[in-house]
Amino acid sequence: MGESSNLDRREFLMGLAAIGGVGVLGAGSWGVLESMVPQAQAASWHKSVCRFCGNGCGVMVGMRDKKVVAIRGDFEATNKGFICVKGSLLSSLNTAGYGGNGTGRALKPKIRRGDQLVEVSWEEAMSLVAEKFATAIKTKGKNAVAFYGSGQLLTEETYTANKLFKGGIGTNNVDGNPRLCMASAAVGYTQVFGKDEPCGCYEDLDKAEVFFIIGANMAVAHQPSFERIKLTRKANPNCKIVVVDPRRCETAEVADLHLHIRPGYDLMLLNSMAYVIIKDNLANRDFVAKHCKFARMLPQLDAAGKPLLDEKGQALPPKEDNSLSLEEYGMLLEDYAPEKVAERIGISPHQIREVAHLFAKSKGTISCWTMGINQSSRGTASNNMLSALHLLTGQICKPGATPLSMTGQPNACGGVRDCGALSHLLPHGRLAANPKHREEVEEIWGLPKGTIAPGPGKHTIAMYRAMETGEIECLLVMCTNPAQSLPAGERYRRAMEKGFMVVAETFEDSETAKLADVILPAALWIEKEGVMGQTERRYQLVEKLLEPAGEARSDLQILVDLAERLDKAGVTTPGIIKSKTAREVWDEARKMSAKSVYNYEGMTWERMQKEHGIQWPCPTESHPGTARRYTRGDPMMSNPELEVEFYGQPDKRAKIWFRPWVNLPQEPSEQYPIILTTGRILEQWHTGTMTQRIKELNEAAGPATIEINVQDAHERNIQDGQLVTIESQFGKVQGKAKLSTGPRKGVCFAAFYDPSVFVNAVVSDAVDPMSFEPEFKVTAVSMSPAGDPVAPRS
Amino acid sequence: MTTLILILGVGLSLVGLLICMRLWLLPASKLNAKAGAAGVKLTAAVGFVVLPLLAVGVANYQTFEGVKEVSSCAGCHVMAPMVNDMLRKDSTSLAARHFNNRWIAEKQCYNCHSDYGLSGTIKSKGDGFRHLARYVTGSYKEPIEYHRSGGFYDNNNCLKCHAVTEKFQAVSSHGTLRANLSSSQTSCLNCHGPAHPTALQRTPGSKTYEALTHPPLLEASR
Repeated sequence: MGESSNLDRREFLMGLAAIGGVGVLGAGSWGVLESMVPQAQAASWHKSVCRFCGNGCGVMVGMRDKKVVAIRGDFEATNKGFICVKGSLLSSLNTAGYGGNGTGRALKPKIRRGDQLVEVSWEEAMSLVAEKFATAIKTKGKNAVAFYGSGQLLTEETYTANKLFKGGIGTNNVDGNPRLCMASAAVGYTQVFGKDEPCGCYEDLDKAEVFFIIGANMAVAHQPSFERIKLTRKANPNCKIVVVDPRRCETAEVADLHLHIRPGYDLMLLNSMAYVIIKDNLANRDFVAKHCKFARMLPQLDAAGKPLLDEKGQALPPKEDNSLSLEEYGMLLEDYAPEKVAERIGISPHQIREVAHLFAKSKGTISCWTMGINQSSRGTASNNMLSALHLLTGQICKPGATPLSMTGQPNACGGVRDCGALSHLLPHGRLAANPKHREEVEEIWGLPKGTIAPGPGKHTIAMYRAMETGEIECLLVMCTNPAQSLPAGERYRRAMEKGFMVVAETFEDSETAKLADVILPAALWIEKEGVMGQTERRYQLVEKLLEPAGEARSDLQILVDLAERLDKAGVTTPGIIKSKTAREVWDEARKMSAKSVYNYEGMTWERMQKEHGIQWPCPTESHPGTARRYTRGDPMMSNPELEVEFYGQPDKRAKIWFRPWVNLPQEPSEQYPIILTTGRILEQWHTGTMTQRIKELNEAAGPATIEINVQDAHERNIQDGQLVTIESQFGKVQGKAKLSTGPRKGVCFAAFYDPSVFVNAVVSDAVDPMSFEPEFKVTAVSMSPAGDPVAPRS
Repeated sequence: MTTLILILGVGLSLVGLLICMRLWLLPASKLNAKAGAAGVKLTAAVGFVVLPLLAVGVANYQTFEGVKEVSSCAGCHVMAPMVNDMLRKDSTSLAARHFNNRWIAEKQCYNCHSDYGLSGTIKSKGDGFRHLARYVTGSYKEPIEYHRSGGFYDNNNCLKCHAVTEKFQAVSSHGTLRANLSSSQTSCLNCHGPAHPTALQRTPGSKTYEALTHPPLLEASR
């Protein structure tokens, strides 16, 4: 065979052909397989931000044929790709409401003629709005008009509204739904650190060892962040999740420790924890000595112990006292020893001690809270005490240790709190009551001295009460639904009917739009462009990807139009609104921020287009943004290499407040023996104006129910699914009972998303004395069966 | 089992090679001689036809089964970040949790990346061949991503196990989203997190790339 091993030409060519054939077959197969790979759903993907809650998740929007066809979590954004079911269905948002699953998208301006809202041109609608506002200002004064905005407007829109009303018209009657949501957190941070906004960030969720979640059902309201918390626990066997909630909610279900407290007793619990921390020598004395001071409010008394009076004979307001030592502070807390207060809080002394020890001893403790703390007549005090626990233990300004207030709306932090669009604020941490701050803003905005009204304008509840009395004649409501979200709702619905109310809204069938005198159709989410700022001081850009539906316009366009008309009518500072596009307003706002410690001048529009969100302070274009404030790396510190510097306070020391317990405005009584507390569910967001139009979400949520403790239901002969009446001194509502062991005995729970179960009609409108945020979480009610008993299931 | 198949395949190949060598070295005169020609022909038939066919059969079986192993995926360096991450005890990615908790007992990559049923098996083989072709020809770039950056993971690979569980069915939106989930229009990963390190983490030169590619954990875990 060896002799025949030489190939002849024919054999060689045959071999070559065979090799070629195999090659062609292989390449051909490869080609065929490549062509069989499924086509991408989207032709292009665009970075954006979720429209719903304050978690501020980055999303990728998949577009094909000028339509949104898919939504994905943005893995490069701060949420690391996590989004919730609401965000996952953003693809349906802009078509829901017209040609989609529902109705009600506002497509043309409408004005009220008699009982009817009739379609008109933009010119006619805006002429009427400008005429009414100008007449009110000329005849009744600047404070006869008001603006009620939203933590859902884009930063440029809120900034412009604030400037137009405070700097242009000269009224501080600028407030918005963050008053119902984050005001206690904003005031609480400011009182402690001198400036608003959290010092920590979401990255701390990955590094903490103890999670102290109080008054926040994160598993449904901030699900992407809660998923991260659960992952942190999976990776660290020492990690503990502590949940404080009067209801065994979805978050409590997965907690290591659930403190099932009585509604409203958070402040007493926090004081008791502070007592244990000091008594058991768990305080970080070195940190306190270097970076903190103690504070309390004392009444001004004469030598005989009688209140000092002012010129008008009224008692002088309490004065701040900073003379306390740690020991003296501990003595003030003696009344909150666990054995003294545990029974009132509704838990055992041992539980208080256990949580206090966990909080203080862990390698990193992070507190997360939202409305359960903020929506309370003790909201600011509880916020102060949460920060106090972190300062006392030194669980702050290091990775995994921080008091992190979770935000409710996607731009409550950026637009409203940072741009100062509440009645007591001016942009970037300034206060309307501070003459120096007013002067600074007047100088930056180029206003004559004294243009900005001294002192706060009307906060939300006061604003609608002023509408009730006729003190406020004209109100511009933008991007929010107060007719469903205000407490004691029936009263304020009547107030809205009294004044001239303009509603810029996406949906013309919202409860507020139904009461409007003028409806201005507003663009929704990616139908406009601008910046949103979320919980962790992160600003992210929403780019325009769709044309507005019908004749809808962005809220910025509406405000610029109104400013020009009021300017012509001679009721504003001439030429007050010079920046007319989102990009121009953003540039103006970020340049203004450079004159404050909120400095985000480095966040140019171009950077915002490229990057997946940037955290302020960010003073220059080359600065990467600041994850943690008041600690090494924060460019606003006098020396960025310092370990800690609370530069928001003049003496660079954060305040550890003593906030004594104040009795609840509403306690169970014979007439109203049950406490109603309200909240959210996973599939619906706020008043449901958007999420109720998305079929999959609406079907998953169903109509709102009244969640009742089984024992309370048994005592009242209430069956599961039966119609019940809930009544308080403020109003009543009917809804189907859902029997549960979730709420404590004596507590019932209802979500407020469903207009057909108007829960806020029942809720108390008592407000926090410092933040003026209403008490949504504690209302004494009666409860009785309203419908026929439900037939037992066979 | 696959090890036995591997030994059998190697054995068959070696025997075949030995027979070929023997025939190669056989003088031509032996082939012409009548005596013994039948034996040589039989040997040649075994060496050239029977054994190669058996070896090809065994090799194909080994290829089809062997590539289901994690070690097979780990053989390609672009997969190192995925495999290393999956093996890390402290990783919280979906892949790592499924692997480390033994929610999937074996062939973890294949179990999640082959669609359900016969067509799924065929498709995964096709994809495997396609990936091999790209790897060999160098026609890929890191970080690897789904086709044209817009492709998607088929949710049915999650649903085939999870959809029947009580926990899954207790979530009401899983029910109303069934069509979106089945069509993969809504990704399971939206709510349940990243399956593997993100593209940014897997980009060569990034801060995390080095940590994700070294050391090769699969070797260490053996």
